[in-house]
Amino acid sequence: MDHSFDIVIVGAGGGGLFAALEAIRTNPLATVAVVSKVYPTRSHTSAAQGGVNAALANKDKDDSVELHVFDTVKGSDYLADQDAVDYLCGQAPLVVRELENLGAPFSRFADGTIAQRPFGGTVKDRCCYCADKTGHTILHTLFEQCLRQGVKFFNEFFLLSLEHDDGQCQGVVAMNMRNSSIEAFSAKSVILATGGHAKMYWNRSSNAAGNTGDGQAAALRAGIALKDMEFIQFHPTGLRKSGLLVTEGARGEGGYLLNRHGQRFMSRYAPQKMELGPRDLVARSMETEILEGNAFTSDAGSYLELDLRHLGAEAIKKKLPQIRELCMHFEGIDPIEEPIPVRPTAHYSMGGIDAGMAQTAVRGIYAIGECACVSVHGANRLGGNSLLDILVFGKRAGQEAALEAPQRKARPVSPAAVRKAADEIKSYASHERYERYGTIREEMGRTMADKAGIYRTEAKLRSGVEEIKTLRERFRHIRLFDTGTVYNTNLFQILELKNMLDLALCVTATALERQESRGSHYRNDFPVRDDQSWHKHSLCTLQENGDIRLGTGPVTMGKYSLEARSY
Amino acid sequence: MERREVSFRIYRYNPQVDRHPFYDNFKVAVEKGITILRVLNHIKEHLEPRLTFRAFCQAGICGSCAVRVNGISRLACTTQVWDVLTGSGDDPILVEPLNNLEVIRDLLVDVDPLMEKLKQNSSWVAPAIPEQQMGCKEHIVSETELEVIDSATDCILCGSCYSECSMMGVNRRYISPPVLLKAFRMNNDTRDTIGAERLQQVTADHGLWDCTHCYRCVEHCTKKIAIMEGIHRLREEALERRMTKSEGARHAQAFFDDIHDSGRLKEVTLPLRTKGVAGSLGMIPLAMKMGLKGRTPPLFMKKIPDIKHVRELYRKLEIRAVVKRHAVRQTERLQ
Repeated sequence: MDHSFDIVIVGAGGGGLFAALEAIRTNPLATVAVVSKVYPTRSHTSAAQGGVNAALANKDKDDSVELHVFDTVKGSDYLADQDAVDYLCGQAPLVVRELENLGAPFSRFADGTIAQRPFGGTVKDRCCYCADKTGHTILHTLFEQCLRQGVKFFNEFFLLSLEHDDGQCQGVVAMNMRNSSIEAFSAKSVILATGGHAKMYWNRSSNAAGNTGDGQAAALRAGIALKDMEFIQFHPTGLRKSGLLVTEGARGEGGYLLNRHGQRFMSRYAPQKMELGPRDLVARSMETEILEGNAFTSDAGSYLELDLRHLGAEAIKKKLPQIRELCMHFEGIDPIEEPIPVRPTAHYSMGGIDAGMAQTAVRGIYAIGECACVSVHGANRLGGNSLLDILVFGKRAGQEAALEAPQRKARPVSPAAVRKAADEIKSYASHERYERYGTIREEMGRTMADKAGIYRTEAKLRSGVEEIKTLRERFRHIRLFDTGTVYNTNLFQILELKNMLDLALCVTATALERQESRGSHYRNDFPVRDDQSWHKHSLCTLQENGDIRLGTGPVTMGKYSLEARSY
Repeated sequence: MERREVSFRIYRYNPQVDRHPFYDNFKVAVEKGITILRVLNHIKEHLEPRLTFRAFCQAGICGSCAVRVNGISRLACTTQVWDVLTGSGDDPILVEPLNNLEVIRDLLVDVDPLMEKLKQNSSWVAPAIPEQQMGCKEHIVSETELEVIDSATDCILCGSCYSECSMMGVNRRYISPPVLLKAFRMNNDTRDTIGAERLQQVTADHGLWDCTHCYRCVEHCTKKIAIMEGIHRLREEALERRMTKSEGARHAQAFFDDIHDSGRLKEVTLPLRTKGVAGSLGMIPLAMKMGLKGRTPPLFMKKIPDIKHVRELYRKLEIRAVVKRHAVRQTERLQ
């Protein structure tokens, strides 16, 4: 079955849904479809706990868009494109209020305005939140509004390829997961909103099982460049056993980080901001504590403590209820009575599809949110800026695509593209194949955690690149054992693994190339930022032979020029 | 670390190859603290790659992995094996798909009916602020107003209550608890403008008045939401808005009047008052069967001795209702 729409949005998280909503509102005549491998409310936006930054100045009356821009640029270690950051922060109050108007249940101050709390790496308290379920409530609000506007959903469809004809968008090929039918979605515009790829760190990742970078990998194979892939954010406070996340809001509300000597060790690394330093700095400080033997040890590995007890039972129950539940379910402790065992965990991919102001190099193809690199987060994202990113650029892409649709000529996806996808899938079941999904995925996760983790060196990265190349080679022999056509999860796992492996090569190769330390990318062998040689974006593209080609691109500067970054 | 071998008995069904569903048994060495989802992943990875289930966030917030464990609907990712061991711990743990939804394969069910019902019952805020002014200013919402709906916004649409609901068990067209909860959440949001219209939708046939108060939705809500409170509140609102035409509303009104009059329910005339003359005709065979079995309710009922106390309770509740109605009118004026 083939489909034809004006706009096809791939991914039904907050970014995809806001894009759909805005497209329909901008141009009610445009036909819009959302294609997603999960039901919309399952998307990973739901896991964002802490909040969304906007200079509403409800708390600090002297907060402003300029200060938000400054915090974001400084947080990015000056790698963000400042035109995009200006737009992001300028639109922030508007989109947050709009979401509020549409029904998002934001927490409130006593005067009934949207409440704001402090978050890492900012000079003002500007993080708007719904208790510690901000992403969940935003996702549901947007989903509800999409139902209201009659958005057409294709739930549980897996993206197979992105199609364009000589730089003009044609659409996508996707598989209906319920019956394995491979279908073409022709579209004048495609908006990729497929989320991040930090699941490639597997067990050392806070991400959902499906954050495998499907859109990024499809774009890479369609000849679109990926940008700044070496920058992976490690979140300071993952739960010791599961890697699940404890929101930065826990520190925002006043939580302490302690080592086994009971010291608030952040005083050594960020004496002013303490626990509320930017994420890269806090995660690195924790890793240093662990390496220097100041951490607690356990069967489940070394860990530090996040202590909330002094906040009191009432504050914890009111402001961090989900966190309390998470700790009880997954660590068996109640943070009202005991400190939470935590360690850094791979969390967010700053890099992604090269898309200046959400527009890729292919006319009609947009990329937004974590799958994209716009770039507003540069080398390190601030907490509270990722929900903002999906809202602002989701909205913008939806708007632009809707305005553009009437003017663009439809270029349908070719039947050959569908046949090619079908052939590939058939080939996985070949009897000559022998490699197992589980082993390759385990090794990929371990390689990424060991070789491209928080502290990186040339030797580690070089062997990381080699190992990933070997795994990609082994993947060519991977065997699909389940040949059924009803919801074949084995097939989806294999396709996701293929995507992660391609992206893992980009991450390790660009990390090896960048001989400096900036934001989340820290090289022991090049411990300082080198603006002379490396104040630029990295780019990678896929070559015919399956190797990747590296390049660089300029950073767009603005009001704020390069400065040393300290907190 | 405490560790033991645990048996799992898992529902299997692939419509492509299996004529009937069957159960597969697996023995897995499990550590204390391990969740059902970890076990399912382990089985899939090492024992039976074809085992099919949904899982995504693994942190209890996306709602993908709801299944029935020993007959009770819950999230696989937040349910610890140790908490569901029965007998001396040697009984197998039964893992099955949710009830009341079609099985697509193994533990995976079709959630579309739930999504469709959300759509049919305006499960969204229809904002007071006109489209052109969106984002210009905040709608002021007090902490108390937010508190009314706060816990209802915890709902992750996991489908556990949908699966546990006893009404759903006999009528798949029933509106279902999560959709009623959403209606409550929207109707009590001070920013919404279509409360009356939404209430019309949810009180239609197979709707709000069909709930049997079994409380299973509350008992098994994975987010501990007091869903019944929301359903009660919607019913009150329907009566406050004089939406008394439906059978359910009339049924409630008959209860209300009877207890006020005599402290007892006059069951003999209940069908007449709920369903009307025509509707009651259909119940004659049932009445006759009841008569034959000697189960006919008494024709005449005496007042209970201390009816005064009952009426005093009514009076107190009436005052509270007036205060509430006043509040509703105030909000409507604001809009």
